[in-house]
Amino acid sequence: MKKKLLSVLLAGCMVISLAACGSNDSGSTTQDSGQTQTTDTKTDESADAAKDTTDTAPTEDSAAADPTNGEVVDGKFVDTRKITVEVYDRGNDDGSDPTNNKYTKYIQDKMMELHNVEVEFIAVPRWTEVEQINNLLAAGDAPDICLTYDYPTVQTYANMGGVLDLSSYVDDYRDLLPNLWDWLGETNIYWDKDPVEGTLWAIEGKRAVTNRINTFVRKDWLDKLGLKEPTTRQEFYDMLVAFRDNADTLLGADADKMIPYSVSFDVGWRAALLIESFIDPDISDYEYYINGFDDRALTQPGTKEAIRLLNQWYNEGLLWDDFALYSSGDSTEDDMIKAGYVGCFMHNWDYPYRDGENSIQTNLERMVGPDAKFVVVDCFEDIKGGHNKFITSSAGDRKIFFPTTNDEPLASMMYLDFISSPEVIEYLQIGDEGVTHNKLEDGAVEIIAATGDDIQNSGFNLDYTITCNGLHLVDEELTLKSMAHSYSGIDPALVETAHKVCNTDTRPAKNVNVGAIAAEEGQGPTLASKRDVIYDTAVAAPVENFDKVWDDGIADYLSSGGQAIIDERTEKWKATFGDATSLPE
Amino acid sequence: MKKSTNKAPAPQKKQSFGVYMKRYWQLYALLALPLLYLFIFKYVPMVYIQIAFKKYSIVQSVWEMPWAANNGFEFFIKAFNNKDFINALRNTLVLNLLDLVVGFPAPIIFALILNELVFKKFKRVVQTIAYMPHFLSWVIIYGLALQIFAPSTGFLNMILTNLGFESVPFLNEPAHWVGTYIFLGIWQSFGWNSIVYLAAIAGINSELYEAASVDGAGRFKKMWHITLPGIKPTIVVLLVMNLGNILGSSFDRPFALQNNLVMNAAEVLSTFVYKNGIKGLQFSLTTAVGFFQSIVCVIFLLLANWISRRLGERGIW
Repeated sequence: MKKKLLSVLLAGCMVISLAACGSNDSGSTTQDSGQTQTTDTKTDESADAAKDTTDTAPTEDSAAADPTNGEVVDGKFVDTRKITVEVYDRGNDDGSDPTNNKYTKYIQDKMMELHNVEVEFIAVPRWTEVEQINNLLAAGDAPDICLTYDYPTVQTYANMGGVLDLSSYVDDYRDLLPNLWDWLGETNIYWDKDPVEGTLWAIEGKRAVTNRINTFVRKDWLDKLGLKEPTTRQEFYDMLVAFRDNADTLLGADADKMIPYSVSFDVGWRAALLIESFIDPDISDYEYYINGFDDRALTQPGTKEAIRLLNQWYNEGLLWDDFALYSSGDSTEDDMIKAGYVGCFMHNWDYPYRDGENSIQTNLERMVGPDAKFVVVDCFEDIKGGHNKFITSSAGDRKIFFPTTNDEPLASMMYLDFISSPEVIEYLQIGDEGVTHNKLEDGAVEIIAATGDDIQNSGFNLDYTITCNGLHLVDEELTLKSMAHSYSGIDPALVETAHKVCNTDTRPAKNVNVGAIAAEEGQGPTLASKRDVIYDTAVAAPVENFDKVWDDGIADYLSSGGQAIIDERTEKWKATFGDATSLPE
Repeated sequence: MKKSTNKAPAPQKKQSFGVYMKRYWQLYALLALPLLYLFIFKYVPMVYIQIAFKKYSIVQSVWEMPWAANNGFEFFIKAFNNKDFINALRNTLVLNLLDLVVGFPAPIIFALILNELVFKKFKRVVQTIAYMPHFLSWVIIYGLALQIFAPSTGFLNMILTNLGFESVPFLNEPAHWVGTYIFLGIWQSFGWNSIVYLAAIAGINSELYEAASVDGAGRFKKMWHITLPGIKPTIVVLLVMNLGNILGSSFDRPFALQNNLVMNAAEVLSTFVYKNGIKGLQFSLTTAVGFFQSIVCVIFLLLANWISRRLGERGIW
């Protein structure tokens, strides 16, 4: 009896729940889709959604010169507006709260003063940014101004109708956005504009410095062993062997901790210069583009031979045995470099010099001795004998986009304009004189390590200057002079060499804009983790298995969507540029 | 188990619903809150299971999304054509089966041994130490595992190499990794899981042991003929529940322990869903996978329960 009753009750509950959900949901849908329902029959829903939102700030009807319809007077909103802005949380040991510190207050005060806009920052962990922003977007809680390094994510959400089309804003409000246009220019603003539809889902932030990767070598070890800085691949290899064989001399009691060459699980990045030296420096734009979906050059011609070499080195004990076991954001490898166990590595062009007191170089001097230092070498010759490096263009940094939940697109655009103005960038990058920087005799700026609330959580407050990556002072000449001085506690000569080397023999990336590639949608993270698996397993394979591991991996990569991307890229290139193999100048 | 319902005096004969409710309404009122919780957090979200059969869109409500191709089964077909899914399915089955075969008896054996200990204090200390790993998160356990098992810097491998042996790739070679995975799983949970068995053992009538002693039974005879049969119903219930979870997988354990070198053996359904769904934005595909997983789990649960009842055991309902 009781059992029966209970089951009846439960069943009743379920029925009610289903019914209730039904009504609940349809209730909320009328709210959600209010914009789209009236224009249901139109073809492109997302475009409509975007258009409808722009209608709230009427653009078409107001014939007057003021596109904001009197909402903005002298650059200021009549009523206070509120926007939310994404900021990366790097979780630095001694860092400040990225959403509430001296610099956020500066931005908030200025925005209020200049535009009557209230700004709130929303922290997103740097190392899981794509996952996190996906969650926020899916939940409808995304900040009004979102950033990501991953364009396919933007494209995927745009296809679902979750991203605002910015094309009308950048054009219609051009007069209100002088700084944005001055700083980014048409190149970066229109970089992602769809050539057919004319939609613009994201604006590309600009790199003030397009330096990419360098190879760092322990100069004091070279001196100790009486070696020259390597200038060829062979000399690099000989150096690694010398490090390995002289571990006792170099590390004494810690000889078993010797790592001649350290890579992480991200082999494609941490051996990039070696990999790229196997690619023909004159590879056609066409071939480079169709194989270019993977930003670690997995499917470029030549990569396999580079990894084969790494595989040999691994099996000769020249690489870090445990490289694949630590995931991104883990500091184990950095700690070993700081402790002085590592002979050389490849990373971002200024990696060991970054972070003031916490930099690798400073730590190394502290733990090993004042002579210990990493210098930059240029030793991977390509088939033409140069040292070709594929560098980025000024675009391709962070992509800024507005989700459709953004109710204040104009205020958000004005934020982008504000954050692009030269004075704001300069202040955020170098802070206050005497606190975060000193002026040198020649006028150059020297950064000093700050603590407490003055600390910059990212180099030059990169996380706040979302349209600008790299030092950019109002005075351009000073910028160059200051760059070498901008690394507190680091010999400026080291930085100058690093800057010089990564600007030798470069081939900047070009914008191949042939419209969205449907096959790439949603594939970015999946294929990227596949790529890492291929690189890692191939490097760690026994030499005799290398071909099998690599070929199986690539076959799997291609059949999991890689080939479809190459095919579609080929097709769209042919449709746009015909048989030409290089881009029109 | 049905026991709990026996506490209230059983109604003598058939009564009307009203009389019944009048008498027991407080009990049902107590039940209301948990039911509400179940309803809001477990049933309402189920509406979104639909996206397994629909083309997911972030801006539309789930009722508006268009149906997927192939009568809505597009994503199920896609999943079964996806090598990575098949691989994850295989790994899930293999790892869970190994966990069951190796891991299921561990707490039972531990409980039996613990029960034989005479010194109460020693018993308690051992028990507490065995429980402890249960409270560690898998991320921390992986951190420990790296310190112990890493090929060049791991403590164990350093000892091995210093003794002149080859270093063992505990974490970076698929077969060894599976072993490490199972071992860490048992280490983390055997103490905690033994609690249930210890409780069941405590419930066995001590007169049985006395009678057996009189009859001249030794320790092992008593264990075999009294303790084990005494906890058999508990073992069966837990076995049924474990079988129900044969295709289910926790997320944090495989996710924390896997690395690129062993991905072939370490990718399971939950991490597959995470990578393709949350990272790769293929929500429909991964909901389909999750739905499939749930259905298989329910089938296994029902099957195991049916079998245990056929064998004369109680099952879980």
